[in-house]
Amino acid sequence: MASKTGSTPATYSPSPATHKKKRIPIADVDWVRPDSRGFYQCRPAYLRTGAVSPAAGSAYAEFGNTKVIVSVFGPRESKKAMMYSDTGRLNCDVSYTTFATPNRGQGSDKKELSSMLHKALEGAIILESFPKTCVDVFALVLESGGSDLPVVISCASLALADAGILLYDLVASVSVSCVGKNLVIDPVSEEESYNDGSLMITCMPSRNQVTQLIVDGEWSTPKIHDAMELCLGACSKLGEVMRSCLKDVVTDLKE
Amino acid sequence: MVGLSVGEKNFIKGGIAQDLRNDGRKRLTYRPIYVETGVIPQANGSARVKLGETDVIASVKAELGKPRVSHPDQGKVYIYVECSPTAEPSFERRGGDELSTELSIALERSLLGGKSGAGAGINPASLLIKEGKVCWDLYVDCLVISSDGNLLDALGAAIKAALSNTGIPRVQVREAASSDEQADVDVSDEEFLQFDTSGVPVIVTLTKVGRHYIVDATSEEESLMSSAVSISVNRHGMICGLTKRGGAGLDPSVILDMISVAKHVSEQLLNKLDSEIEAAERANEEEP
Repeated sequence: MASKTGSTPATYSPSPATHKKKRIPIADVDWVRPDSRGFYQCRPAYLRTGAVSPAAGSAYAEFGNTKVIVSVFGPRESKKAMMYSDTGRLNCDVSYTTFATPNRGQGSDKKELSSMLHKALEGAIILESFPKTCVDVFALVLESGGSDLPVVISCASLALADAGILLYDLVASVSVSCVGKNLVIDPVSEEESYNDGSLMITCMPSRNQVTQLIVDGEWSTPKIHDAMELCLGACSKLGEVMRSCLKDVVTDLKE
Repeated sequence: MVGLSVGEKNFIKGGIAQDLRNDGRKRLTYRPIYVETGVIPQANGSARVKLGETDVIASVKAELGKPRVSHPDQGKVYIYVECSPTAEPSFERRGGDELSTELSIALERSLLGGKSGAGAGINPASLLIKEGKVCWDLYVDCLVISSDGNLLDALGAAIKAALSNTGIPRVQVREAASSDEQADVDVSDEEFLQFDTSGVPVIVTLTKVGRHYIVDATSEEESLMSSAVSISVNRHGMICGLTKRGGAGLDPSVILDMISVAKHVSEQLLNKLDSEIEAAERANEEEP
């Protein structure tokens, strides 16, 4: 590339004045979230196990407008004949319905979400308990209303518990968005679309272990500390809600 | 995958515990980095980075495209990684595909910043030519030639070097008669502009083996890992992305400790990499 070295290297920015976006005045102290929640307030969660009867275990979760359904099949013979393995395999698949998003069929990248779900769950499952077999986790996002992946992960761990798969602990997941100077927990789609950074934690609350952590955007170290603390607090609360959901089913059965 | 006997495993683990690894490095020392730029003449920018036996190539191609409806004021950057089976037999078919997607996702997260573009290595707004009409699409394609661990750090470094080497043609927008008409642009063949790559972060992967963590693990060391955290840090010491690999859970305090270690290591790596890139660019200019 001899031709370009002749010119003085100028920074490439053809149009510097591009800050005309219809951005919400975030600098305002009294900026209100689209659904008028507090910054550190999660959306109301509705969780239910046993949503799909043919599956070994299933769960339905509704966090505000985000609605997902997860079913778990197995442990069963692996469809793809692979090598012998003395631990079980976990197969995860996340898909969006075509009507899940405002624009038809514009869900997030399926492959990416599936691999994230796999990574978040594999650390919590006792894979040694079902050698040579495979557990399939299918998640379907019925309506995407923001924080889809954390809801899918929490719901999937509930479905695994419902299927009787041995787990070290339930996996709870919460995300935080950084909007301007503020941290907002459990962001909705609108907040996600203009955030300056997001952080998602999946953890096992009673073991106090983080199975997966994803950060993007720009963060200073103290901010990461704050965000992680906020998420871990919310995760342990969500863990309790999930636990009580599982207990409710049992008490209902007894009655 | 590397097959190691129990004895070999213990030997590596013991070495790491004593801060003396198989190749004589300390826990937080990188292998020597070798950078070569302008290796692909057809691309707008390219670089080859060698990190010990790990060898990767990154190329940057710029094409004119249309901005997304949701972000009319930003250009687009795509990152693709290809793991060729020539590097390692396990990359054949599905194994390679899975690794490729995992690496591409991790790189996009580390280098492209948040949704609003904060923390992005390349400011997406600088790729805009005409709002809502024309922008540059940057295709960053990476190829793994030889793999001996720590692919992500090597790929991150290669992309940073390739971007420093990239020249984007200067574009003049001819005023269109009406606003809804397709914008008319003049792409210059002679004038090239370069990116400001000072904001591009480096990726530091800390691999946890036993109770300690090490940087720049070889594939032998990687086969022993319980989990690994890749942290991308830019010049200002800000964290631009974080990805965890490996199933084992980590205590939150360990993660925070890893972040502070990564920040410390990244400073040295950034300086080293910058001087290597500069040397490579100078060597390029001297050649006829």
